[in-house]
Amino acid sequence: MNSVIKALAFTSVLILAIVALAYATSSGGLGVLPPESLRPLAITYLRTVYNPENPKFTAMAPEAVTAILWDYRGLDTLFETVVFYGAIIAVLTLYRETYRERDILPLKGLSIVVKRATAVTSLAILSVAVATALHGHLTPGGGFQAGAIAAVAPLVMLIVFSKRFLSDRLSHVQLLTMRNLGLLGLGLTAIALAIVGFAIGEKAFIFQNQAKEMSKLSFPQRILGVPAGGTLLFFNIFEALAVAAGFTLVFMVLLSSEELSRKEIVGEEHGY
Amino acid sequence: MSVGDLVFTLLAISALLSTMATVLAVLAKDLLKAIVFSALQSVAYTLMYFLLMAPDIVLVYAAVAVGIYPLTLVLLIKKVGRYE
Amino acid sequence: MKNMVIEIPKTMYMITIVALYVNIAVALYAILAKPNLVKKIIALTILGDTVNTFAILAGYKVWRPGLVLQPPVLTELDDVSREVIEEFVSRSVDPLPQALVLTAIVINLAVTLFLIVLALYMYRHFGTVDMDRIGRMKRGVISEEVG
Repeated sequence: MNSVIKALAFTSVLILAIVALAYATSSGGLGVLPPESLRPLAITYLRTVYNPENPKFTAMAPEAVTAILWDYRGLDTLFETVVFYGAIIAVLTLYRETYRERDILPLKGLSIVVKRATAVTSLAILSVAVATALHGHLTPGGGFQAGAIAAVAPLVMLIVFSKRFLSDRLSHVQLLTMRNLGLLGLGLTAIALAIVGFAIGEKAFIFQNQAKEMSKLSFPQRILGVPAGGTLLFFNIFEALAVAAGFTLVFMVLLSSEELSRKEIVGEEHGY
Repeated sequence: MSVGDLVFTLLAISALLSTMATVLAVLAKDLLKAIVFSALQSVAYTLMYFLLMAPDIVLVYAAVAVGIYPLTLVLLIKKVGRYE
Repeated sequence: MKNMVIEIPKTMYMITIVALYVNIAVALYAILAKPNLVKKIIALTILGDTVNTFAILAGYKVWRPGLVLQPPVLTELDDVSREVIEEFVSRSVDPLPQALVLTAIVINLAVTLFLIVLALYMYRHFGTVDMDRIGRMKRGVISEEVG
């Protein structure tokens, strides 16, 4: 009886909340919906994102979303990469005793038809990911997109082949090295122009992409006749590498065998 | 019926489809069915993002919510128990 | 008839918004009321994605006859003059919510992966993933140690 009253109370409160929110939104709570015109901040960003006649504010990359992520609001993306890094460190810390051990069970994997089909499609997924990372500053694409697409391939390979197949060929040290290389590349690209300016004797900003008023250094605007996007290209490549390596580590930790982890936890009695 | 009306009608249809899939996912006792219904809801959301002209988000969301989440959750319920 | 023709987009928009609010409510109910940890994780992902969809809905533009919308990507690379840029600004959709939602999706992904690994750890420690039984176990142990 008590649980029925509780369920009824929950449901009525939720229905009341939905009705109130719908009424507030339909009478203009979030602004006039759907909006009639762009907001002024969006107009400023779109006007200056690829504008050769306005060298003070332009980012020289025709893709507005990637330019906002890595040029106009680059610090947000830097801290979001830090959050992602922290989550992966947390996962590895929980399993710090067992994720390096060599697994004892011989794991077989699925049938041979599935294995051959997966081999072909994994190569296709990885090539799509590389392509998406490289054209992220010209058409929709970019670092996270490529990293997320590239993370599906090792996950499917872990399920179809066995975990031993992957961890014998790609040890955890190699994956950690790839991840750290990606993060190092991100950091170096962010202060690249500052280092060059320090060496030459000019002033430069951190996260600088094109020439600004107070410093004349800039990444090249066109490479082989195509807009190069400056720092955006390098940011995309390094971010894709870091994200894909981090995901593969987490999936390998998730699939370690039960015997291995039971050895470690059986001695902990007072965890409450 | 102009193109604008068609876009908004498709938006409404995919939103209703996602609501049905969410309710079915919450009510299912077999966790594998719940995972499949949540993947169906993610497909409806991908269609909505495409209609709202956000191609970057379609790329990320299709890989994450239809690829990574269901596969990882299936790995989890294999070890933890399939029924509620 | 003309009035009804203008009203169709607004009605459909309201239906979309109400359906998304119902999604949020059902996901919240599942997080609070269902005892299984895996179902809570599934409902948490649904909640996060629905809020992201709201943000992108608020960045759209209403259709008018004669107006063509395009995603915020400039397609003319060689001969960029003022008219080309002004036309791009008048046609394009808001790019700012899309950038913020990209960051939000990645952060949600990192936190959910950590939660999944944590659920596996809890299963190995307690033997079950049912939060009601875990609560009873902890109450039993605490009353044992106190009394």
